Amino acid sequence: MPSRKRGHGADAPAQEAGARVRPLWTGTITFGLVSIPVELVTAVRPRQTAMKLVDKSGHALGREYHCSKDDKKLSQDELVRGYETDSGKMVVITDEEFASVAPEMSGDIELRNFVPIEQIPPIYFDRPYFLAPAGKSTKAYHLLTATMEKAGRVGIGSFVMRGHEYLVAIVADNGVLRADTLRYADEIRTPETMGLPKHGKPTASQVTQFVKIIDDLTRSELDLTELEDQEARTLEKLAQTKQKEDEDVIHRQGLEQAEGDEGGAKVIDLMAVLRKSLSKTAVVKTAGDSAPISLDERRAARGAPKRKTRKSSGKRKASR
Amino acid sequence: MARAMWKGQLQIGKQQLGIKLYSAVEDRTIRFHLLHAKDQAPVEQHIIRKDTGDEVAKDDMRKALALSAQTAVVLQPDDLEKLVPPESRDIEITRFIARDVLGDQWFERPYYLGPDGDNGSYFALAAALARKDVIGIARWVMRKKRYVGALSAVDGFLTLTTLRRADQVLSFSGIEPAKSVAPQASELKLAQQLVSSIEADFDPSLWQNEYRQRLCKLIEAKARGEKIKAVPAKKKRAPASLEESLRASLAAVKEKKVA
Repeated sequence: MPSRKRGHGADAPAQEAGARVRPLWTGTITFGLVSIPVELVTAVRPRQTAMKLVDKSGHALGREYHCSKDDKKLSQDELVRGYETDSGKMVVITDEEFASVAPEMSGDIELRNFVPIEQIPPIYFDRPYFLAPAGKSTKAYHLLTATMEKAGRVGIGSFVMRGHEYLVAIVADNGVLRADTLRYADEIRTPETMGLPKHGKPTASQVTQFVKIIDDLTRSELDLTELEDQEARTLEKLAQTKQKEDEDVIHRQGLEQAEGDEGGAKVIDLMAVLRKSLSKTAVVKTAGDSAPISLDERRAARGAPKRKTRKSSGKRKASR
Repeated sequence: MARAMWKGQLQIGKQQLGIKLYSAVEDRTIRFHLLHAKDQAPVEQHIIRKDTGDEVAKDDMRKALALSAQTAVVLQPDDLEKLVPPESRDIEITRFIARDVLGDQWFERPYYLGPDGDNGSYFALAAALARKDVIGIARWVMRKKRYVGALSAVDGFLTLTTLRRADQVLSFSGIEPAKSVAPQASELKLAQQLVSSIEADFDPSLWQNEYRQRLCKLIEAKARGEKIKAVPAKKKRAPASLEESLRASLAAVKEKKVA
């Protein structure tokens, strides 16, 4: 929806200079009558395989919209969105009309219930965002984070951002709140609707055989090199070789303005934003810089062991 | 019935299992055309040189990897070809780990796997994964791209969810709130009571995309030529102290339960 990006393009130079980063969404988390002002920023960076669009001699390229009738170049203000009905009729929806179907909901994420995180199947998770505290006091923010981590629960709610309504799980992780968007139930296919065969009854010996294979291959840690971006590494190597041989290397003013090949996602200095809004002592890093992920550490970090054992460990002082 | 989008072989230790891959996601996004407001003609996208505004033909477009703000390496078509991984039908499972080692921020796109011939082994593997409560880390090449994924069992069926790469996921350590904003014991207790008062099981069917439904209705109404009415403004809440708000919230929840 390009017209929603209008504000975005305008402050792009400021973003790249690292001067000011505009959050994707600003609003309030409410649970009960408590409200927590937050700013939402992305929690994932674009892949390092993202490239710039240039011409053969390395000039930065960009996109323009032209009218198909008179070939006139159009500015964002001259664009509207139209929906083509099944009968081929074009229905124009104005920005005001888009806004009109999203009243009230746009400023709040109301947490209507708290559920055990392990109950949400992985196929529901869509995109993670960090929520940074935005109000004068961060007290309520820290309170919600500590409470959810202790209880091993996540808050479920919904909110509207840039013309879409998102279902989210508000997850407390290491003292920070994340809003992980979830897919709606009607966006998830089921084995029945896909026509997968009915549950067969596997023989006990077949299951035992797989259990044995799984046991042999089970490790307590995940080595993050397995999640490394091999394509990015190969690309990097290729670029280095070409640079050494001075082949196709370009130096040009305004190159950073070139359109990206994946919709031109801007790389902003997330770390700086989060460090500033949360705590000066916080360390932010990409998972790539971290040690392997181990289960014990994750459980310890959460401060809440599995539910089965919660009672017995309740007397111990929480680690944080 | 959905069509499989790819076929492959799970390689687990010395065991092989033929599978079909299906998207687990049904795209329900309402898609719009961009139009010129004045004459409602569809717009065309042109690629132009930023400095001169001249249009550039597709054959003259290249991708460049930025080395710094103003230096980049241009990739020629034969360079891009070198980057394509060797074709394979194998989904290699490199290890199994406990299900909660990976945080949900790693999960990107889910697929269902269906059996390709051997139903018995398919359901046996799903049962074994569920019994051990583990996920498998998978690597494969599909449609000229490399993927890393998590193999898991959902309701007795196998799913394969692609994972984000290590460079993409940001993590934190050591967030310690300043003393002045650290929650008090009394507040923690109230907050915990409040959380447990609205504890529930995850039930995705309770949530509908109301915005999408309203947008659909709006489009239908406009298509019929109906007039659209104006909308009420947002409501605002008055701020109160944290502890007061917690107490009031708890009282409200209790009242609801009695009623």
